[in-house]
Amino acid sequence: MAELSYREAVRDALSTAMRRDDDVFIMGEDIAEMGGSMGVTQGMLEEFGPERVRNTPISEMAIVGAGIGAAIAGMRPIVEIMYQDFTTLAMEQIVSQAAKHRYMSGGQIKVPLTIRTQGGAGWSPGAQHAQQLEAWFVHVPGLKVVFPSTPEDVRGLLWSSIYEDNPIVFFEHRTLYGIKGEVPDEIEPIEIGKARIHREGEDVTVVATGRLVHESLKAADQAAEEGISVEVFDPRTLQPLDEDALIASVKKTNRAVVAHEAVTRMGWGAEVAAVVQEKAFDYLDAPIARVGAKFTPIPFAPVMEEWVVPHAEDVLAAIKKTVGKE
Amino acid sequence: MSSQVTLPRLGQGMETGTIVRWLKSEGESVEKGEALYELDTEKVTQEVEAEASGVLLKILAGEGEEIEVGKAIAVIGEQGEDVPEGEDVPEGEAEDPTEVSEDDAQEEGSPAPAREDERERGREEAPEGPSEPEQSVESTNGARIKASPLARRIARERGIELSALRGTGPDGRIVAEDVERASASGALSAAPAAAGRALSGEVEVVKLNQMRKTIARRMTEAWEAPAFQISMSVDMTASIRLREALLAQVKEGGVRPTYSDILTKVVALALMRHRDVNAHFAGDSVKLFPTANIGIAVAIPHGLVVPVIPGCEQLTIPEIAAARADIVSRTREGKLRAEDLDGGTFTISNLGMYGVERFTAVLNPPQAGILAVGAIEERAVVLDGDFEIQPRMDMTLTIDHRSVDGATASEFLATAKSFLEEPGLAL
Repeated sequence: MAELSYREAVRDALSTAMRRDDDVFIMGEDIAEMGGSMGVTQGMLEEFGPERVRNTPISEMAIVGAGIGAAIAGMRPIVEIMYQDFTTLAMEQIVSQAAKHRYMSGGQIKVPLTIRTQGGAGWSPGAQHAQQLEAWFVHVPGLKVVFPSTPEDVRGLLWSSIYEDNPIVFFEHRTLYGIKGEVPDEIEPIEIGKARIHREGEDVTVVATGRLVHESLKAADQAAEEGISVEVFDPRTLQPLDEDALIASVKKTNRAVVAHEAVTRMGWGAEVAAVVQEKAFDYLDAPIARVGAKFTPIPFAPVMEEWVVPHAEDVLAAIKKTVGKE
Repeated sequence: MSSQVTLPRLGQGMETGTIVRWLKSEGESVEKGEALYELDTEKVTQEVEAEASGVLLKILAGEGEEIEVGKAIAVIGEQGEDVPEGEDVPEGEAEDPTEVSEDDAQEEGSPAPAREDERERGREEAPEGPSEPEQSVESTNGARIKASPLARRIARERGIELSALRGTGPDGRIVAEDVERASASGALSAAPAAAGRALSGEVEVVKLNQMRKTIARRMTEAWEAPAFQISMSVDMTASIRLREALLAQVKEGGVRPTYSDILTKVVALALMRHRDVNAHFAGDSVKLFPTANIGIAVAIPHGLVVPVIPGCEQLTIPEIAAARADIVSRTREGKLRAEDLDGGTFTISNLGMYGVERFTAVLNPPQAGILAVGAIEERAVVLDGDFEIQPRMDMTLTIDHRSVDGATASEFLATAKSFLEEPGLAL
């Protein structure tokens, strides 16, 4: 086992695929000499050269559009959108092109494109650079949406995404790049649509994504001190959702909390709650609680930002409410 | 500022009341004077009005719960206002079943790690059983029982009656834990097939409602009094004529006087002449009342109430008839007010309409007397060595011997009899 940071794990998946496979290349703003605004692609220009590590103009629509073209033509491109806030500029390409070609061509065309992007609050990037927009993409048939929370998962899932024949929107969280974790020496692909249980518990299932997985693990530690046994469930893939594992977990604990950094209202967590009540209604012993950001743009001021987005104590409060120990 | 709604004292001697039904739900706005909930006291079920305007922020006392007078049952305040923590219930919180404090929660509503322990504890407590009688009221009122889907499923599978359980979840919700505890105790598992075999002779257990409890308690109290009965038979010929005359005067849509109304008037006048009978026995004293407030025993489904018509000696028979019609209809509609039941000095119970010839009534304490009246029927009477057929009615007076003796009682009853036989004597 080796220890890698989340950032290094992303780079390792990219580089390993590019070493192995000439069809794989990366494109994005400032990813070459600068090594990406988050430093993910540092050193890759030197190893793979400007043909395969391509800086692009500042046009998200062009970046995704070119990626779609290359993918249709047989490549396995990974394009980087510097902030997920900027995916809005490429929405037409992602939603109406990448997600539709395979369906509209009756399977004659496939789009093996990976759209990497990052974001999230916690470091005062302000309202236009801190959003969590996964709910926009999970709503679109034809897209798969991945959001890993650990170095091991981000490497294994990025690998599977690169080799997936359908377009993937691949979310990374800004504040997770620095976290370190053990990874297998060799890359082990992780199946898209498979959840991971980080911690087993008996009283409540906390379904958490991205940064909130770590906050939920902290909350679970605190809850344990009060005698509450928490299962922390990370779907890792938001679309498709690992419903079998989710329902099995809720049937065991009889209670569920959904936690994500994106705003609660109309969020991905609402879908999770709907699935749980549909498929495990008779197993629920409490209303499903949701934890997420308040319904407001993310403030720039650090104190306000911290107040708007959820943390471990918010998850803990939801856990206690759900198990009736408020 | 939020204000607490506390359980009012709606009559002398009222110590507790049971919330039958909330007429507003949490979050709904209420106007001062608007009906807020239905309250079942020992005497009567009535609607209680809100004393403040605002939003019903929180209901602290659930339907079917028996609450002491003065305890907080709800909070009314402004929209969005937080219900002040810790002020939910000012005192005696631990006795409030809806209030689950942190400590209580750890004791009773704890999650799975403690579940095994809970089950153990549930078994140990089995003889007592986890049910409180007042909780079952909820289902008999037809109110929705709050229970989680899981709790419902387990209860369904194990044939446990949810209405018998006390919920320890938020807002008194029955959670799986509660059902499992009950299941472990075994006390409540009605055999799943019981419903289908009810006709084969199984004992049906009916919990006492508030009224039944009150009747049971007061009748037991009455039994402590050393009471005796005296009976007289009355020739009703003159009273029948009187009633015919009264009926002839009834205006369109007016209330038709009954024999009971005549009796009420006559008894009131007789009481004024024998005030020792118009009395309460009060331990070391006897209270003699200046006016005859006559209680009329009214049967209602599964019970009996005795609303009072005050000052009967001053009312005409048509006025008594109107008051009686009003109070009986309000009794049957459950719209009696507490004051309708207060202040009775004497009671009349008439079972004549059921064909009962004569019976003895049990005292209605602290009243010293109660008159039991049977049916008017034609009987052969021996008069001057011959038979005559007369409409006769038997009256039996039950008297508390602690305050009234046989001679006094007899004189009173003879007066009442004479008034019925010759109404002019009452003038």
